[in-house]
Amino acid sequence: MNTELVRLTDVTKVYQGGITGALNGVSVTVEEGEFTAIMGPSGSGKSTMLNLVAGLDRPTSGSVFVRGTDLAKEGEAGLATFRRDHIGFVFQFFNLLPNLTALENVLLPAQLKGNTAKVRAGELLDRLGIAEVADRYPARLSGGQQQRVAMARALVNKPTLLLADEPTGALDTQSGEHVMDLVAQLHREGQTVLLVTHDAKLATRHAERVISVIDGRIVDDARLESPERAPSEVIRVRGEEAAR
Amino acid sequence: MSLKYGVLGLLKEQPLHGYEVKNRFEAMLGGTWEVNIGQIYTTLQRLERDGLVRPVGPRGDRGKLLYELSAEGQRALDEWLIQPDSGPQQLHEDIYVKLLLATRIANGNLQEMLARQKRTYLQRLRDLNRLEKRARSEGRVDLARLVRGALLHAEADLKWMDELSSERFEVEATE
Repeated sequence: MNTELVRLTDVTKVYQGGITGALNGVSVTVEEGEFTAIMGPSGSGKSTMLNLVAGLDRPTSGSVFVRGTDLAKEGEAGLATFRRDHIGFVFQFFNLLPNLTALENVLLPAQLKGNTAKVRAGELLDRLGIAEVADRYPARLSGGQQQRVAMARALVNKPTLLLADEPTGALDTQSGEHVMDLVAQLHREGQTVLLVTHDAKLATRHAERVISVIDGRIVDDARLESPERAPSEVIRVRGEEAAR
Repeated sequence: MSLKYGVLGLLKEQPLHGYEVKNRFEAMLGGTWEVNIGQIYTTLQRLERDGLVRPVGPRGDRGKLLYELSAEGQRALDEWLIQPDSGPQQLHEDIYVKLLLATRIANGNLQEMLARQKRTYLQRLRDLNRLEKRARSEGRVDLARLVRGALLHAEADLKWMDELSSERFEVEATE
């Protein structure tokens, strides 16, 4: 049942000319089906962790295993194949290609070609509530719609891991919540999710595990519980006795 | 204080018995403030003594007494409603006193203390998030708004712990 999907062992990442985003001896594992949030201030290295797991970046030392593959040992072509087969990535600023329509953006990384891919993309757009804007270009979409197109693109190959780096950072509260509710729904259906955020409210709303990163180190790894609690167990309005 | 005015406000809507006041008050607060019936009766008696409420008619079944708002009660309520919430900032200072003592007495492991506290706040945020979601799905907007306030406060507490853990308490304390 508990299948290990990601294993970082003593990972360091050094960036030339600065310490921002560096990692310093990070070890952590993620299991299949988990929804994990990685929290930390900007420059703490939380995005670096995500990029390493995505095969977008390489560790300076240490190993990054995803599904049994040591990414540090893969060449560029190997990493590209790995990303295509296993990773769906959602960015803060959507990263859609401006000269492609929403549907074309979703189809861009699709492995299946032709009609099968179109059907899959259509299903995703429908599910994410943006089927009616499939033929629009990104410039004609709201932020929330663009992020949902980016999500469809991330999901088109049924990725092993859905990685999201501040996916609501550029959205208004309502669009952000909508996007996160969709991610949560995917998680309930079994999708493994790694979310990077600096927002504790957001992290604890959806993730059952919160990893805190400060200065390139994991300082806490908390597994949260989800019991049904009565309102009075969760929140108590101060009720001092009227003493006069 | 707000229990007193809560009672006045409910009586402005319509005359009520003690038990009705209790039930309506608790329902209004979404179950986050439980009052015992004794508190309600005491409050009603004090309000009656101060002329802010008065009994309507004689005692009914099993000694139940109906109360209504007096003109003076109405004035007191109106005045209270327009007053902004003021006074010093309320703070749960327990953790701060613990930190101060730990630095003085034992030079204890503050980072661990802070980490445990942060974890507790994360769980609190999770519980509040789940309560907010439930309140919204059940259409209990008043409760959802209250929980939202609690969420933002809990987030601030967490940030406070983050700031404290980046400071060098030990150094200051040994001076």
